[in-house]
Amino acid sequence: MHAEAKQHDFEPKIVAFVCTWCTYAGADLAGTSRMQYPANVRVLKFPCTGRIDPVFILRAFQKGADGVLVSGCHPGDCHYMAGNFHARRRFAAFRALLDFVGVDLHRLQFSWVSAAEGGKWVEVVTELTERVRAMGPMLEFKSLEHEEQWSAFQAMADVPGVVNTPELKEAYDKI
Amino acid sequence: MPQIITEQNLRNLIDLLVKESKVVVGPKQADSVVLYQPLAAGSELTLDSLPRRSAKELFFPICENILSYQRLDGKMQVTDVDRSRFPETVLIGAPPCDAASPAILDAVFSWDYNDEFYLERRRKSTIVGIACTQGDDACFCTAVGLAPDTDTGSDLFLTPLKDGSYACKAVTEKGKALVDAHARLFGEAASADAAPFAEQGTEKLDLVKIKKWLEGHFEDPLWEKISDICVGCGSCAFICPACHCFDINDEGSTEQGSRRKHWDACGFSKFTNHASGHNPRDVQNKRYRNRIMHKFKYYDDKFGRTLCTGCGRCVRACPVGIDIAEILSTINAKQD
Amino acid sequence: MNAKANKNQSSCIEPSYYQAVTQAIRTQAVQVLKDGTVAGVVGYLPGRRKGTARPALITTPEEAEKLIFSPACVNNLSVYLTKSKKGVLKQGRIGIVAKGCDMRALAGLMGESQIKREDLFIIAVDCAGVYGSRAERSESVTEANIARKCHECTVHHPEGADFVAGAATELSGLTPLEAEEMARIEALPQAERWAFWKEHFSRCIRCMACRQVCPFCYCEQCLCDKNRPQAVENSPRPAGNTAWHIVRAMHLAGRCGGCAECERVCPMDIPLNLLNRRMAKELKELYDYEAGLAPAEKGPLNQYKEDDDQSFIK
Repeated sequence: MHAEAKQHDFEPKIVAFVCTWCTYAGADLAGTSRMQYPANVRVLKFPCTGRIDPVFILRAFQKGADGVLVSGCHPGDCHYMAGNFHARRRFAAFRALLDFVGVDLHRLQFSWVSAAEGGKWVEVVTELTERVRAMGPMLEFKSLEHEEQWSAFQAMADVPGVVNTPELKEAYDKI
Repeated sequence: MPQIITEQNLRNLIDLLVKESKVVVGPKQADSVVLYQPLAAGSELTLDSLPRRSAKELFFPICENILSYQRLDGKMQVTDVDRSRFPETVLIGAPPCDAASPAILDAVFSWDYNDEFYLERRRKSTIVGIACTQGDDACFCTAVGLAPDTDTGSDLFLTPLKDGSYACKAVTEKGKALVDAHARLFGEAASADAAPFAEQGTEKLDLVKIKKWLEGHFEDPLWEKISDICVGCGSCAFICPACHCFDINDEGSTEQGSRRKHWDACGFSKFTNHASGHNPRDVQNKRYRNRIMHKFKYYDDKFGRTLCTGCGRCVRACPVGIDIAEILSTINAKQD
Repeated sequence: MNAKANKNQSSCIEPSYYQAVTQAIRTQAVQVLKDGTVAGVVGYLPGRRKGTARPALITTPEEAEKLIFSPACVNNLSVYLTKSKKGVLKQGRIGIVAKGCDMRALAGLMGESQIKREDLFIIAVDCAGVYGSRAERSESVTEANIARKCHECTVHHPEGADFVAGAATELSGLTPLEAEEMARIEALPQAERWAFWKEHFSRCIRCMACRQVCPFCYCEQCLCDKNRPQAVENSPRPAGNTAWHIVRAMHLAGRCGGCAECERVCPMDIPLNLLNRRMAKELKELYDYEAGLAPAEKGPLNQYKEDDDQSFIK
């Protein structure tokens, strides 16, 4: 059935934060219409994009997401009148902040996908997945998760900054 | 004849210790601050300023794992930290106010319960203290019973000499062993002319009198007066060589994670917050009172020592300029 | 704008200027306490150590005689007005000594309905700048010891106060260090920006001084103290530290008045104000909004326009 599906070395984890009224319904439409899109995306449903706190995005990256999608209703279509307008400003600011601390914004995608736009959902998810696949795993936050303060070291080998190569030993022998 | 080590040989000693697979920790420039950090080479040792954080983190890390858990085949597996892997560590360049701190903290970490995390790190460490030649107006070690040349807590104690070398005194067996193992780096001098020690800005305090006053003044207008400006951060406690409160947190998911022990501070409003919502230290001055009481009364009651080395870090760092040396001299001057 | 006209620019502010400001503050504070205008005054008293000062909550004219103003008066005293901290306002109308940067915080807090203008008697200071943290505390401010934030101060001459102490003086020819540093970081490749902040955030010990001195961190329950569910790790490890500082900057976006207290009090010298500055710059560019110029009912992130930029949204 999926004979043409390509084998990839790296399957990125994409977390999608979507609003229940538009994008979730749009993704549902894509499914009921039997459209194909990468299975890399994990969808989390929210009442509104206005409910999506920037800290959720951070948390997703920290816990292993390689890419994040935030998607909701088109401007003017918000079920709660203005949730997406507020979200738009908040995420514009948050993007600038992430950029400033050195996060590659290509891993973060925002979109408006209505309940009727199953095709657009497929397009957005596919594009983000392939882009992130090409970029490789998001290592910044993941590697931070494993870092400790130097004083928490449990063995010589864990202590950052302490190099102990044979060359160094040899150099010290000359003292 | 006194034993000496030149500055170059002190740095060479660090190189040798690193070569011997010991972790050598000393004051090191890290961006704009000097911190105790592992040294990769003797050249990294910076002895011209007091590190921003105290040396306590060597034994009592800011944050360390005490166990980890993982669900495997439906069963939760708990893994203890292998403390035997803690490395042999040498702390070099701690002034008396820092070198004295483990000597104070040993009591609390081996009292009703032996904190093996602390004690194992402590057993595996050797402290090379150094007499202090550069105090400032926030220092008050002499006021709390130490001095710029006190060797309490040090295994090996260095005193800077006028010619730039250091007189060495092996205070403990550990210190002697360190010298004996590297004897060729140490020499002898005909005379040892010590460089002038740091000067102190405060008068000597009567700690017994202060404790006595504290005993009778749990409720006193002074507390509100001195701490009504406290904003409740933890910087004084975190950079203190003697403060040792910690919190334990489980972090992770229901599948895997770690139990972590990390620094906590009595200045935080959440410190004494009960699960019920009740908070016995509900206002900041009660929290600040605890800080003073713990340092100068409770700890003394229990362990016979003052929980302060007079390093002055809290005086320098307090965001709102609360000055513990000033508070102590206020109490010291009280008649009733 | 009279102040601007007779602006006196020099390379060092004379100690006599601070003495004059101190005198003016004392006279005013004593008067408003005596005539019952205010129940207390939040000001500065000298510290034990030479060249230091600390905040003080004053309730009597006798104490008010001891108030000072010097380049060591670095604190933003408005932190004492928000309820989760001290709640000094419960005592009635309060006098507060405020520099230009502190006034911006006051305006912000009024906009956020945390304080009312009529509850305050603002004794503003025409401020030439204050000491940088750990700078040499000589008799006056010079280019060498002035705080980094003061290099680019645009609010030397506060407006809208009940009383202004001092008149128009400022240092000339200061380099905009912070703007230069921000530009430098912005110009770095993305990976180096990450490395820069990683280095700084890793040093963080989570003493929360940045939060506790911030006039805008007045939440009764901080998101970062919660652990059920946990949004940001409590433990002082690089991961949680990074998340904390990003969340903090985000929560202050569009609100921070730029007093840079967070950066000043950081015992680990993390350049936190750069994050705040970067957000302020973005919101100015995107929505032409500047925080703290006047009390505003709505900040840039709780209002919107239908035609806001959405070029980043697909």
